[in-house]
Amino acid sequence: MNFILETLQVLLLSIWYNLESFGYLFVPRKRKNIEGEVVLISGAGSGIGRLMAQEFAALNTVLVLWDINQEGMKETARLAKESGASRVHYYVCDCSNKNEVYRVADQVKREVGDVSILVNNAGIVTGKTFMEAPDSLIEKTMEVNTMSHFWTYKAFLPAMIANNHGHLVSIASSAGLISCNGLADYCASKFAAVGFAESVGLELLATGKDGVKTTIVCPYFINTGMFDGCQTKWPTLLPILDPNYVAKKIITAVLTDQVFLLLPRTMYLITALKTILPVKQGIMLGQYLGAFSLMDHFKGHAIKKQE
Amino acid sequence: MNFILETLQVLLMSIWYNLEAFVHLFVPRKRKNIEGEVVLISGAGSGIGRLMAQEFAALNTVLVLWDINQEGMKETARLAKESGASRVHYYVCDCSNKNEVYRVADQVKREVGDVSILVNNAGIVTGKKFMDAPDSLIEKTMEVNTMAHFWTYKAFLPAMIANNHGHLVSIASSAGLISCNGLADYCASKFAAIGFAESVGLELLATGKHGVKTTIVCPYFINTGMFDGCQTKWPTLLPILDPTYVAKKIIQAVLTDQVLLLLPKTMYLITALKTLLPVKQGIMLGQYLGAFSLMDHFTGRAIKKQE
Repeated sequence: MNFILETLQVLLLSIWYNLESFGYLFVPRKRKNIEGEVVLISGAGSGIGRLMAQEFAALNTVLVLWDINQEGMKETARLAKESGASRVHYYVCDCSNKNEVYRVADQVKREVGDVSILVNNAGIVTGKTFMEAPDSLIEKTMEVNTMSHFWTYKAFLPAMIANNHGHLVSIASSAGLISCNGLADYCASKFAAVGFAESVGLELLATGKDGVKTTIVCPYFINTGMFDGCQTKWPTLLPILDPNYVAKKIITAVLTDQVFLLLPRTMYLITALKTILPVKQGIMLGQYLGAFSLMDHFKGHAIKKQE
Repeated sequence: MNFILETLQVLLMSIWYNLEAFVHLFVPRKRKNIEGEVVLISGAGSGIGRLMAQEFAALNTVLVLWDINQEGMKETARLAKESGASRVHYYVCDCSNKNEVYRVADQVKREVGDVSILVNNAGIVTGKKFMDAPDSLIEKTMEVNTMAHFWTYKAFLPAMIANNHGHLVSIASSAGLISCNGLADYCASKFAAIGFAESVGLELLATGKHGVKTTIVCPYFINTGMFDGCQTKWPTLLPILDPTYVAKKIIQAVLTDQVLLLLPKTMYLITALKTLLPVKQGIMLGQYLGAFSLMDHFTGRAIKKQE
């Protein structure tokens, strides 16, 4: 009886949720006000990190920037102030080093206050085939792209939980949903970031902390230099993304508490197909979309640094 | 024109692959002969590792067992000899230690020969909520469940590539496809293992090494003690799996070159639904299936050791 009642409830709510989702394709969702919130962005010295900082600055937030690149951060801080930020703090921090993350996090809590919006954006890619990649670079990729998320969560999540208020943003990648040739360690790290953020998101819901939101961002390649040289086979289907567009979409997702953001839109269909289709067909589709050759001419940043 | 032709080819092949997959639901696939192959199983001292060793032994293979638990391995070796293995070698190896993996791998290559079937099975779970889990245990989980796969691949894949012959088996978990409450670090590590194995699988195809196969196994909870205390809400839909059944299905998948093996069969549908449905509905479905409460009474092994 219990089973029948619960199944019935699930079916009815399913219909409702799908209607709701359909409605929101046309009616924009309400945006929340994040004025005065403390936003921490790792990897803020360049790329998407910098653009997100400018977007968040324009919304009257307090910015805390982390990067290993101090010059880049200074420039980001300057641009952020121009965009309207009243307070911008920046700290040099190597996210691959757990103790450094904790040390700088304590400094932030002392000097700025509790972080209420955590944007784990710092990321690196080796760009080598797996057998050619040095072990140390593989470890570094896991440390920056995955483990640093563990440590920043440990540092900043307790305050969010205590206040039942906060937002955890994970800048993962479409390579965290679909494997790519030539990106074995990167895929491993991004798959892990997605699984981790999802899992902790569930933990928060299960413990009644629905005030702490999660947003997981999975973009295709973005034209910031990190993936310079990568080619996309059918630019209409899967364009290399414009960073300004990506930054704006991320901010929109945060303001509307969207859990998953895949860019471009075709990525939703591709991810669904990958899961449903027989493996051989999925591989063929991947080949068709250029997944086998996208890293062939990879150059990346001139000096490999955190994004 | 190129686009139209290629799209047409993809559509026709798609229809073919789906027909083929459909037919194979009724007609069993041909099983390959692995007599004389060198099979390495990590975490062979207990659980699925031990059962797989027995299954592989019955097929006239040469067994190489790895575990941190020497007593368990001795027992596995004894059972394997009973099952028909002519040669069984075992080595104590802590998979979380990269240098130990390389050292013991060299020993194996000297004393036994090149490994042609690599079964990355060793795995641990902390069973604690993320904020309660000590950092060292989180790191250990990533090291055993994910990083160990990097190092064993580095050690044994070159020979497989040179011979264009081999099989890489990754014992991941359904928690590597769908996040679970109370398993944040475990999910991260299993998501990573899947993304990694898939990615290297693609790299092998892209470089023409079709002789090196990949099998990724994603079971729901197995009744081996590793997840003791976990409950499943609707045992008809998602039963706690019998280990002997799982071991047999894994061997079958290896012999038929199946790329992805999800157990039980309902997991295919659940994974597809998770990707297709709106997030709210997916969460509700998860709750309905007990994903929120499965770790509530987790006790695990009395002494936490490698699976």
